[in-house]
Amino acid sequence: MRVWLWLPLCAAATVVLLVAMAPRESGFNGVVSSIGSRYHAHATQIPMTGLISMMALGATHGGVGDLHLAQFEHFSGPIDGDELNRMVGEKLGPGWDRMIRETSRNGSEQTLIFSRPEGGRMGLFVVDLDGHELDVVQVSVDPDHLNESIAHYESDGAKSD
Amino acid sequence: MRTRIVTLMLSGTLLCATAMAQSSALRLPSPLEKELAARASNVTEVTLGKNMLTFAAKFMNGDDKNDTAARQLIEGLDGIYVRDYEFDKPGQYSIEEIENLRKAFETPEWTPIVRERDRKSAETTDVMMKMVNGQSQGMFVLSAEPKELAIVLILGPIRMNELGALKGLGGLGNLGALPELKQRGAQPNTGAKPDAGKDGTQ
Repeated sequence: MRVWLWLPLCAAATVVLLVAMAPRESGFNGVVSSIGSRYHAHATQIPMTGLISMMALGATHGGVGDLHLAQFEHFSGPIDGDELNRMVGEKLGPGWDRMIRETSRNGSEQTLIFSRPEGGRMGLFVVDLDGHELDVVQVSVDPDHLNESIAHYESDGAKSD
Repeated sequence: MRTRIVTLMLSGTLLCATAMAQSSALRLPSPLEKELAARASNVTEVTLGKNMLTFAAKFMNGDDKNDTAARQLIEGLDGIYVRDYEFDKPGQYSIEEIENLRKAFETPEWTPIVRERDRKSAETTDVMMKMVNGQSQGMFVLSAEPKELAIVLILGPIRMNELGALKGLGGLGNLGALPELKQRGAQPNTGAKPDAGKDGTQ
């Protein structure tokens, strides 16, 4: 009789333990899922983001890569800027520093830009809310290669002028 | 065992000190910053620490003289902090709050170099330099308008005539007007308020 009593208790304890120990999502996916669950919004899946990221890497000669993109449409209700800032910071984890924050009191416009050094590259994480649309972008930038690409486009632009 | 405890304690102290140093980089009274932000209709915060500035300097690898000057200036800085508060109507912040902001920099190493007061437009501008052993090691700008309050803190070796080189970091190039302001003395409508807008700082 005692065994039947302890068995469900042990099973329940195991489930609680597993849930507690389960790895929580962090980084880009963690931020996107947190925003989705907190504001009851659904991120639009952008197909072939991996391919786009690879194309960007090639087109910019390594200047821009590791692109992640999520878009929330039909955002309703104002957002508490402090709460969003805290949530994004916590989900990104250590290593990311907030570089720019712009927030409006009515909550309709919020911009957060985080950055972190990634060896010779720089990781950028942008959360931007404008009206009813919220975009989350993560990208890795190589300043040297990006400069070359920018200079290339600038010289092309000057020629066409 | 005792050595291990001492090592752990020292590491903990070092970590705490590092964390405190990072959080106090702006030197503003923290509750005041939050209160202003709560009352403002729009808030812009720019925080560029030493690491980020070193990295940003890499983007300025052009061959021309301006790029080189800007890179050298930025690489030497310890931090750039901008806070810009826009209010719906005048009177959203008090003179006492502005005084509290100024008091945070009333230490022997900070020297006021510009003090502008315009009673008609109710605009004030303060510029202070941090001097260490005769060398400028920082700059603080406080520009208050009835509906806008802008604070800029630059830490690290910087000279007035180099400020224009910061244009590579968005609207901070407007700080290049400061030497002119200093020469002309207190004149109306010549505030050195930086344009810390979203577009300019990205």
